[in-house]
Amino acid sequence: MTASKTITEPLISLRICRPSAAFHPGETLEFEYQIDAIEPREIRAVEVSVIWFTEGKGEEDLGVHFFERSRASDVVDGDLRSLQRLACKLPPSPLTYHGTIVKIHWCVRVRLVRRSGRDICADRLFHLLPWRGAHGSG
Amino acid sequence: MARWLRVWEKKRGTRRTGSKLVGTLGEALFSATLFVLGGVSLTTLLVLRALPIEHPFPPGFGFWVMVIVLSSFMLLGGGGVIWTWLNAGTSPERRSALAKRAAAIGPKTMATPQRPELPCIPSDANLTNSPGVKQRYRLPEVQSPAWRLILAIVFCIIWTVSAALLSLMALISFFRGEPEYFLTIFAIPFLAVSGWAIYDMHRQWSLYAGIGPTHVEISDHPLQPGREYWVYVSQSGRVAMKALAVQLVCEECATFRQGTDIRIEQKRVFNRQIDRRTDFRITPDGPLELETRLEIPVDAMHSFQSEHNAINWKLVIYGEAGAWPSFERCFPIIVYPHHDGQQDHHRTADFAQNLPS
Repeated sequence: MTASKTITEPLISLRICRPSAAFHPGETLEFEYQIDAIEPREIRAVEVSVIWFTEGKGEEDLGVHFFERSRASDVVDGDLRSLQRLACKLPPSPLTYHGTIVKIHWCVRVRLVRRSGRDICADRLFHLLPWRGAHGSG
Repeated sequence: MARWLRVWEKKRGTRRTGSKLVGTLGEALFSATLFVLGGVSLTTLLVLRALPIEHPFPPGFGFWVMVIVLSSFMLLGGGGVIWTWLNAGTSPERRSALAKRAAAIGPKTMATPQRPELPCIPSDANLTNSPGVKQRYRLPEVQSPAWRLILAIVFCIIWTVSAALLSLMALISFFRGEPEYFLTIFAIPFLAVSGWAIYDMHRQWSLYAGIGPTHVEISDHPLQPGREYWVYVSQSGRVAMKALAVQLVCEECATFRQGTDIRIEQKRVFNRQIDRRTDFRITPDGPLELETRLEIPVDAMHSFQSEHNAINWKLVIYGEAGAWPSFERCFPIIVYPHHDGQQDHHRTADFAQNLPS
């Protein structure tokens, strides 16, 4: 008979409030997240960010458009696990791009900073697409 | 093997197999050791120098070399400890956000920005500060042929003089009856490179003197996808041309580390010929002048610049002359996204047909 030890990892539920996950510059990105399977006292902080990052042949570049760090002392009951809904207006650039050696992705990232020191991340990709139309001569 | 015990770790995409904590501790320990080693050694050196005892080998120039080396150990070690301490326990997003906030509170110029602020899109200030004759702006060239010629001349002079001196010394040794065989063998590749440098200088001179400068002007800037512009090209010189083509080019540029080297890779992802003239003659009195329509593709990606990656648009003038080597001259342009995000708020983005697969 073998004894197994179950290690429960904290859960981060992250959802972008638009099924297509496609946005245009200037539009508002709304998303919500909830944390579960962890005791409130084990959470040092929760960092929520809207970032773009590059992928491909070159070194990875990362840019932060929106960043919010919450600690237990920032909320009334000291519990950072409850459902949070956030929104931010998206910038005009850089747009999502799928090139040959350079790719640009956008994502919402929720990082759970634990007191034990190990972080846990949840990412949800979305697309920042250009407006179409408006042809003319320059 | 336990995760924290691994000596060699691997990088799998953005994830590393090793322990982050062990890595941070190792980095801090290495920097601290370097700092202590430098500090103790420097103190010992200075105390020995200050003591009134007779040194069997009094340090001269070497003393100051030791001071510089040991001070650099202390600086590198101390800096490493501070850097590790600042980075420990801080996520990359938080670091980036702090850096962005710090940049935002930095000193700003008094001038009012003319263009909307577009993150990661390079400024076009250097492309719109020169008015054109036929069109609104005259575009600067990426690398002027004059600079390339000056570099070729300087390199050719330095290398040829060095090669001539080495060859002369080798010849003298033969005339004296004490031949320097090693020097002779060493001088042969020097002479070969010198021959190539003379050829390259002649080629650059031919391109500069025979083909002459290229001027490119554009009706508006920055450019937007789906829009049309007028481009004026003037090519002067004294040459019979086989062909001259105007191309709209987009290149992706990635900078990465390979071992200790930093490499740059460029990939041409879009190349459209917008005009081409064949079999004509350029004289000093009659430069080639052509005016052509330029359309930026409606699905074009905007120009992009980050620390290690870039998407660059440019107009390339490619020429083939009868007796001269072919040449390519590049004129950068900036492409903006379709709109600045402040317009067309009535549109809905709830469609996914344009999503890349």
